[in-house]
Amino acid sequence: MKLLMKSSMILICLGLLRMPAPVLAQAPNSAESNDLIKALLARVEQLEKRVAELEGRPAPSPTPAPEAPEAVAPPQPPEAPPSPPEAPPGEPVTAPQVHMGHPDEQGSAPVSHIAGFSDLNFSTTDRHGARSGFNEGQFVLHLNSRLSSKVVFFGELSFSARTDAGTGLPPATGFNAEVERAMVRFDQSDYLKVSFGRYHTPINYWNMTFHHGQWLQTTASRPEMVQFGGSFLPIHFVGTLVEGVLPASGLNLNYNLGLGNGRSSVISRAGDWGDINNNRAWLVTLFSRPNRPYGLQFGGSVYRDKITPIAGREFREWIQTAHLVWQKENPELIAEFSNVSHQEVGGPSQSNSQAWYVQLGYRLPGLQKLWKPYYRFEYIHIPAGDTLFRAVPSLAGSTIGVRYDISSFAALKLEYRNQRRPGEPRVNGAFAQTSFTF
Amino acid sequence: MLLAVLLPVPATSVGADVVIAVNANVPINNISFGELRRIFLGERQFWSSNLRISVLMHAPVAREREVLLKTVYEMSEAQFRQHWIGKVFRAEASSAPQTFYSDEEILGALASIPGSIAAVEAARIPRGLKVIKVDGHLPGEAGYRLR
Repeated sequence: MKLLMKSSMILICLGLLRMPAPVLAQAPNSAESNDLIKALLARVEQLEKRVAELEGRPAPSPTPAPEAPEAVAPPQPPEAPPSPPEAPPGEPVTAPQVHMGHPDEQGSAPVSHIAGFSDLNFSTTDRHGARSGFNEGQFVLHLNSRLSSKVVFFGELSFSARTDAGTGLPPATGFNAEVERAMVRFDQSDYLKVSFGRYHTPINYWNMTFHHGQWLQTTASRPEMVQFGGSFLPIHFVGTLVEGVLPASGLNLNYNLGLGNGRSSVISRAGDWGDINNNRAWLVTLFSRPNRPYGLQFGGSVYRDKITPIAGREFREWIQTAHLVWQKENPELIAEFSNVSHQEVGGPSQSNSQAWYVQLGYRLPGLQKLWKPYYRFEYIHIPAGDTLFRAVPSLAGSTIGVRYDISSFAALKLEYRNQRRPGEPRVNGAFAQTSFTF
Repeated sequence: MLLAVLLPVPATSVGADVVIAVNANVPINNISFGELRRIFLGERQFWSSNLRISVLMHAPVAREREVLLKTVYEMSEAQFRQHWIGKVFRAEASSAPQTFYSDEEILGALASIPGSIAAVEAARIPRGLKVIKVDGHLPGEAGYRLR
């Protein structure tokens, strides 16, 4: 507002200066007027740049300052500026984002960009003892900041509603804050990028693609194999990643090489404070997004770790994963498979557990393309001998639902789930979710 | 050959084609359609290790944007937005393409931002702006896809 007032004042001043000669003749002398015009034009240019910065647009290219007029010409009608193209009614042109920081005139201080995701849910199931009702999903803040032309920082914070996050005894409900991702990355080129931090482990397509942005995924829920707080796959990874993409004659071969702490003693958690043992986890991921057919992605990963769940017992873990994705929406296809092998060090325990899912979606062509029905089948097999996955139940389940895009940045999802676990009755559930980015 | 690339494209021969224009320091004169798509998708981010690509785009409803969405992205406006929000959220890019509201703005930015690339209607290309071929074709030629 202050800026607008300043601009208005200057424009009024300029308008007065451009008045016809009889009015300007009252000015003390023309040299002073010319200096004043130059100063005001320079100020207007500065303010235009500042307005463009605040609007997140590049400043208009500087126009050469006009020569001081020899004599004041009669005012010309201003040339009409080019009219901006209209945005769809009610929709902002760019994604919602907050810019923070203190850039000085030389741009020597980094500017942080903040975006957010959140969701609100309603659920009801026929599981014995379950209660229906509303619950608040995660409140997620995403930050990124370019520290130089080659160095960038990314962070993701989540606030999750929990029954025991508050204070007092028994603990009150509240929100748990968590640093989901925090990484600083050096981009040498497309072929080589090196980063350090806490990541979503890049061995699973869903985990790498949707993170905590529920709005980004078609469905309301994640597959069980990558459920937050789940144990089947390590969701987080603390360490270093080397990544890049090689053209490979149009195959566009992406790679990730990682070295990190691996799982903690609680295997659903990463080794945030340090490794649980002296053995680093490592991973290799290769995937291709070929030029043709456009929309296809396929690849796989291997992950190796040594887990120490309790002192005195250690397990070697091998994970192999594969994914096949058709990224377009007519249809959308996501299929993933994971095999997790555990071998007790110096012990007889050896096991192989598998999980896979196939999800299909289709953006309906009519009704302004706002509706997208989907279906997912998922399956998890945990053998009885898998000591580490004793708390991970096997599962066979179907999810069917429809997504309705309320706006470019918000969606409503209605979902029905049917799940069967060994030794338990089949569970049916209905879920509604509104998810959005802001 | 270089002169041909730097010269303005005669509007009479190109109809409503959209040309790919780049900053003068971009070290190429021809690009495959597949690479062009990777650039506009944000999957290729460097011309060379010391020259980052800056993708510039017109605001919605501009014809250049519609041509890009239809031929290069094969996405709706909503899908385009979701693509870039996801791209930034996945830490694969630090920002979406810069958006411009007029030809004057985008042409000014093309001239001043090293490594920049944009689609501009052929008839509005000023003399001296560097235009690159796509799959060896210039606007107006058979096989040119950005129309």
